[in-house]
Amino acid sequence: MKKKVVSALLSTVMAATMIAGSASAGMGTVEAAGTEEFDTSMLTKAENPVELNVTTTFAGEDGNVKNFQDAVKAYEEATGNTINDMSGTANEAFKARVSADFQTGSESDVLFYFNGVDSNEFVEAGKVMSIDEIREKYPEYASNMDDGRMGASPVDGKNYSVPVNGYWEALFVNTTVLADCGIDVPGPDYTWEQFLADCETIKEKGYSPIAAALGSVPHYWWEYSIFNNDTPETHLNVPETVDDEAGKAWVAGLNDIKDLYDKGYFPENTLSALDEETIQLFMEDKAAFLVDGSWRVNGLATNCQSDPEDPSTLDTERLDKFAVTYFPAKDGRKATDVLGGLSEGYFISRNAWEDEEKQAAVVEFVNYMTSDAMVARFAQHTASALKAAPDVDKSQFNSLQLKSMEMMAGVTSFTAVVQDLVPQDCRTPMFDTGMPAIVSGDVTPEDAVQQSLDLMAEKAAQ
Amino acid sequence: MGANIYKNKKPLWIFLFPAFLFMAVYLYYPFLMNIYNSFQSITGLAHASKGLNSPWYSNYVKLFQDKAMRTAIVNTLIMMVVTIVGQVGVAIILALLVDNIKRGAKFFRTVYFFPIVISATALGLLFNLIFLYNKGMVNQFAELFGATKLIDWKDKSYALFTMMLPVMWQYVGFYFVILITGLNNISEELYEASSIDGASKFQRVRYITLPLLHNVICTCLVLAVTGALKVFDLPWIMFRSGMPNGATWLTGTYMYHQTMITGDIDYASTIAIVIVILGVIVSKIVNTIFKEKDY
Repeated sequence: MKKKVVSALLSTVMAATMIAGSASAGMGTVEAAGTEEFDTSMLTKAENPVELNVTTTFAGEDGNVKNFQDAVKAYEEATGNTINDMSGTANEAFKARVSADFQTGSESDVLFYFNGVDSNEFVEAGKVMSIDEIREKYPEYASNMDDGRMGASPVDGKNYSVPVNGYWEALFVNTTVLADCGIDVPGPDYTWEQFLADCETIKEKGYSPIAAALGSVPHYWWEYSIFNNDTPETHLNVPETVDDEAGKAWVAGLNDIKDLYDKGYFPENTLSALDEETIQLFMEDKAAFLVDGSWRVNGLATNCQSDPEDPSTLDTERLDKFAVTYFPAKDGRKATDVLGGLSEGYFISRNAWEDEEKQAAVVEFVNYMTSDAMVARFAQHTASALKAAPDVDKSQFNSLQLKSMEMMAGVTSFTAVVQDLVPQDCRTPMFDTGMPAIVSGDVTPEDAVQQSLDLMAEKAAQ
Repeated sequence: MGANIYKNKKPLWIFLFPAFLFMAVYLYYPFLMNIYNSFQSITGLAHASKGLNSPWYSNYVKLFQDKAMRTAIVNTLIMMVVTIVGQVGVAIILALLVDNIKRGAKFFRTVYFFPIVISATALGLLFNLIFLYNKGMVNQFAELFGATKLIDWKDKSYALFTMMLPVMWQYVGFYFVILITGLNNISEELYEASSIDGASKFQRVRYITLPLLHNVICTCLVLAVTGALKVFDLPWIMFRSGMPNGATWLTGTYMYHQTMITGDIDYASTIAIVIVILGVIVSKIVNTIFKEKDY
């Protein structure tokens, strides 16, 4: 448990540094690079081409899948090296696969992965290179990044990964539904009480107030509801007992979700639906609010394209009806205190580093994938750790990206998510199998939190 | 010389050995390791054991206290009944009907067998759309017939039905083809003789077809029952993590959840052993009840 507290402190430092960064460099906000070619001038043709195994989370619905695939293609053409792309959607099964790969010694050469507790096991085992170690031989490695914002490991506070794009979580709204209910798009002073009143109005009008699949993706609601019951300063404290301050915040957060469920503000099928089903309700003007991450901006835009691969087929009128704003605040927290950060980055495995044939290639690959131009292309309206963020050219942005930029401009603080400090196998009593039991009254929030803490204690003891 | 070839059995061993070695390495050794792992503490896939559980049999105690495991076993037993009635039963009826038509038999064979060649993942996604709450196919039909309220077919009240129907539908064709092959082996002369004796069509089925198909049906039943224990992919696509609220766990999906989501590998190993034991017991019971006959 002591380690958890250390982790929380380190993450708090990271979050605080990011806030400082946001004041000086606009959170490193950068523009989408559009359709221009990739700059491969930094790459050299390999004399002895090598094959690199690369695992990332640029897969499935991630908004950067095409960017990543195109960047890899350009890299292969410029260097002659081959990239075996083993990317997968960042879910629990994917994390189990990555963990198993490290355990069996078959880890990828380069890994774009979470820098929170999910990477603890292979950082502790010394299976990935720290940035400092790499810089001893390659001093220019990740030199375009602000070290203080790269996302230090909770294990020892050192940097092991080089981030590209950050994330934020916020409240997406369907303005068509809100207009029909006579409700204005919420702003930076949106309170929990107003939110509850709006939900009631929306429900009476026959819509689902909130699009959420609590049975499969309760993560965003879990995080913000807890955030609403503590402060940006205390949010990353993992409870030691269910009765300490953090424990009380967790229980109160879960009670808030149960309250919303009991009032019928989630879709009728919230416990049996998949995430994509409830998002569809939101898309089809049947639900008003959706709490999701910055990746949903691209997801919604893609859903508004007749050809998902071609942004020029975007139905702008349809996309215009969506907006993004701050999650309603409760008990003194400002709505403009937002959850977000830089939770992923490129790791280089020790195996690849120690392979003389691959070492230079993996370093070059990560340098290329984290160059200023590449970060600009990937990060879009989210955060980055660049020392000098490129100027913003809004002409490439769609309406939802512009609204995201506007929302980001009003952010007063960014706080990382506390669920990243809870090992995935310890979350189950509160997440996918646990949340339905909590909201339907089969398990009390206190018991659910206690079960999670017991699992964490058991894991820490091992 | 020629006769000696058949008397000398040694070459047979050479051909049998590779298959045996493969089975030993990839099936029996992992199975024995699985039993060993069920007593260990293993916290992630491919992670090394952290030693024996305390007490060493704790997973087996947990098994009896675990509500989700109880649900999984009950649902799996229901799935077995559904496969016996819904897969083999329906396949028998379809096979008898197709066997009695002169034209179009080949067409129906292809049509009924077709779902087998579609991947379970694709079928899961297909049935997700069919049973979709928001304007899925079934709900649209219901609206056409005057329903005013959408039905959540994945709700607790309907979840088992919604999960088992596609599984049942998918494998009917498999047993249908086996049974059709069995029907083709029944001599036409028997039917001709019975016609001369004045037997009705029903009597021919009752007294000739079904008795002669007995052994084939037994094989189908054993395959169906043991297959029901292994059902995983389609239910997982439609009802991930036992949703809603743990109502749709099957032994296979629960074991996968414990392995991939919870990371409780030793407990997942224990569930795997339960699946094997259940399989052995149930197939033994089926074999005893539907004993094969010599004709």
